[in-house]
Amino acid sequence: MAFEIPNYFMADLGPEAEFTTQMVTEACLTLRRNGEHYLKTRDTAAIIRVLSLTAENWLEDDYPFRKIALGRGPLETGFAREVLQAGLDHFFGQLTGENLEDLLLQELGHLKRLDRPCAARCEAGANKESLATGPDLITHYAAGNVPVPAMMSMVLGLLVRSSQFVKCARGASFIPRLFAHSLYTTDAKLGSCLEIAEWKGGKEKHLEDVLHQHSECVTATGSDETLDAIRHRLPGRTRFLGYGHQVSFGYVTLEAMGGHQVKRLVRAAADDVIAWDQLGCLSPHVFYVENDGREQALRFAELLADELEKREKAVPRGEVSKRAAAEIASRRSMYEVRSAHMPDTVRHWCSEGNTDWTVVYENDPLFQLSCLNRFIYVKATPTLDDAFKGAEMVREHVSTVGLACAEDEKEELARRLARWGATRICPIGRMQKPPLTWRHDGRPLLGDLVRWTDWEL
Amino acid sequence: MENFGRIQEFGERLHARMARAGDEPLGDAEFDELALELFRRQAACMPTLERLAVRRGLNLSNRVPWQQLPAIPTRMFKELDLSCIPEHLRSTYFLSSGTTSEARSRHWHGDESMRLYERSLMTWFHRNHRVERHRFLSLTPDASAAPNSSLVHMFDRFRLSAGCGLDSFFGRIAGDGSWQVDFEGLFNVLKLETRPVFLVGTAFAFVHVLDEMKARGLVFELPAGSRLMETGGYKGRSRVLTKEELHGQMRIGFSVRLEDIVCEYGMSELSSQAYDVLSGGVREFRFPSWARVLLVSPETGREVGEGEVGILRVCDLANTFSVMAVQTEDLAIRTCGGFQLKGRLAEAEPRGCSLMAA
Repeated sequence: MAFEIPNYFMADLGPEAEFTTQMVTEACLTLRRNGEHYLKTRDTAAIIRVLSLTAENWLEDDYPFRKIALGRGPLETGFAREVLQAGLDHFFGQLTGENLEDLLLQELGHLKRLDRPCAARCEAGANKESLATGPDLITHYAAGNVPVPAMMSMVLGLLVRSSQFVKCARGASFIPRLFAHSLYTTDAKLGSCLEIAEWKGGKEKHLEDVLHQHSECVTATGSDETLDAIRHRLPGRTRFLGYGHQVSFGYVTLEAMGGHQVKRLVRAAADDVIAWDQLGCLSPHVFYVENDGREQALRFAELLADELEKREKAVPRGEVSKRAAAEIASRRSMYEVRSAHMPDTVRHWCSEGNTDWTVVYENDPLFQLSCLNRFIYVKATPTLDDAFKGAEMVREHVSTVGLACAEDEKEELARRLARWGATRICPIGRMQKPPLTWRHDGRPLLGDLVRWTDWEL
Repeated sequence: MENFGRIQEFGERLHARMARAGDEPLGDAEFDELALELFRRQAACMPTLERLAVRRGLNLSNRVPWQQLPAIPTRMFKELDLSCIPEHLRSTYFLSSGTTSEARSRHWHGDESMRLYERSLMTWFHRNHRVERHRFLSLTPDASAAPNSSLVHMFDRFRLSAGCGLDSFFGRIAGDGSWQVDFEGLFNVLKLETRPVFLVGTAFAFVHVLDEMKARGLVFELPAGSRLMETGGYKGRSRVLTKEELHGQMRIGFSVRLEDIVCEYGMSELSSQAYDVLSGGVREFRFPSWARVLLVSPETGREVGEGEVGILRVCDLANTFSVMAVQTEDLAIRTCGGFQLKGRLAEAEPRGCSLMAA
């Protein structure tokens, strides 16, 4: 008999289930009670054990939750099996005991910081020790597109011993729900400190108000408007961590285009477009390619189109909605006309007979928001400064810059990108593969969640 | 000028053909032939069209069905000069609706293209509507206040056809450029009018009027035979009602039958209009026989089957002097005799779209 997902979380009741304020109140009270009994009593090492063991299981081909995720995932999430597999394998591959310890050290300076008052070596001179404590209950508002941020929020919450209510966007609870079940299977007591539910954001204000009343901390991922709407409804004492939508782009220098590794570089760029079908905030909208009049950017675009075509069979894009397809079709026809009108400055390449992938080349460094789903712009730019000017309108919203350059250019470019506003710089090909310790939106991962207690000896 | 002469010649022929089209609509083969001929002539005036065809591997000296001829997205009217008319012969242009801060489509016209435009407009209008004895009333500003609105130009022609004066327009342009309705003036006329009324306006203007009537507790009993024509979407200018809701409120507010309400579908980028017909409780739009509709699948680019949603393309021969085939931003389904609108593409455009997509 096929393995069935058990009924445990609210999201298991299906998308049509209706909830009452009483149900949400009871869920919050249960979460707090369970947290008191099963989370606050454990040490960090025990939590890390459960997390890393669960992650190891997820990497096994016959793990039931993995099989469900990859089997039903394409229908539930819209991502092809291969895309889901690559994304989940990266996430769970990162979730090791060693990496979790590194994260704690990076964030809190000491592995035992959440267990007892302690001091890192650099603090010893002050003759004090410190203990960090997480909120009793965190509510997460998880955005729709990609499941990894919701799972990462759950990991961080568990590390600081917080019970968590994860409110997923409509139709987006499938993978987070499986992750919660897998934790529950590894350790039912720890799993009982999680609740997963889904409803359309803002539509069930009375339920959300209950969550806000019971939570010390609320995190949310979404558009600036969504974040503002949530922030304004919170009680004054509730801590709010909002992660607005971000955009990312790649930058390729002349040096990188001049080397023998161009094909490898283009393959890496395709990895970034293909991962999560370009829907995550770490996915590139644009690749800027330095151009000195020798058509480097045009060549990059051509090669990228070839590569996306080649890869489509092995790692197909998921099915898209009619509206998303119409947006792609509409942009394509616009660029078709533009390229007929200005053949020297605009070119475009697209998959035949479907909307699977599109590459648009423009000899103009003005940043363009892509309609995503593997629709990528390649923009020629004379220099990094020109790219900065072109991307000025998204400057406040830039997350990752994927960088391809020569070894001796790296540090200078990284410094300039950081000063300009990028919060993450990584090699092209790894844009959607951040390490576990990546600071989301340039903010601390645990530092914003915990409350410190300093004890002067 | 030689290329333009060939466009003029086509325009004259089409002008004459439209006059007969009421009794003898253009057939499939005739339309196919005319469309290809017109495309060839337009491509000779506009190298962009020529290059588009070449890039698609079309050999224009062969027979190419009209469905395969490249359509130009309406967005392109905002940035390209899509006209076969030499600059010194251009006398006016129509702009798409929108605010002054955003780019708007510009459709150039000269004397001859306007003559053809009006022939197309009035031939199809008279075929569908009998309003000669009506009191014409419009919720839009008049043509002097909105000289570049194809909608207002069209309504002005309807006014002339009904033999009414310039006091028929009750729209005013507010300081921010938006269109508002002079409720007082309109309601005074509606209260006293004894002739059947032909009341036209945008959907959002009707919503404003109906809201105001509700606030004042007004219901009008328009004389029998009155007709209401609404057109266009909302674009954030009022609360949004479904067609059924809007028509339901219009029916009650003005005491008319549902079949007395007609929708118009048109745009500044086209020279022909579609009107909807209510048959068996279902509304479907129909263009005249010199304009044809193709619904293409966003995913495959091929024509969709009946009942399937596709992007609406209009091949309008009356666009003789600009570009014949236009790809709109509307989604629609094909019905037995026409099409039904099923929403619009996201308002997002590459240069202005929100970060929501991220």
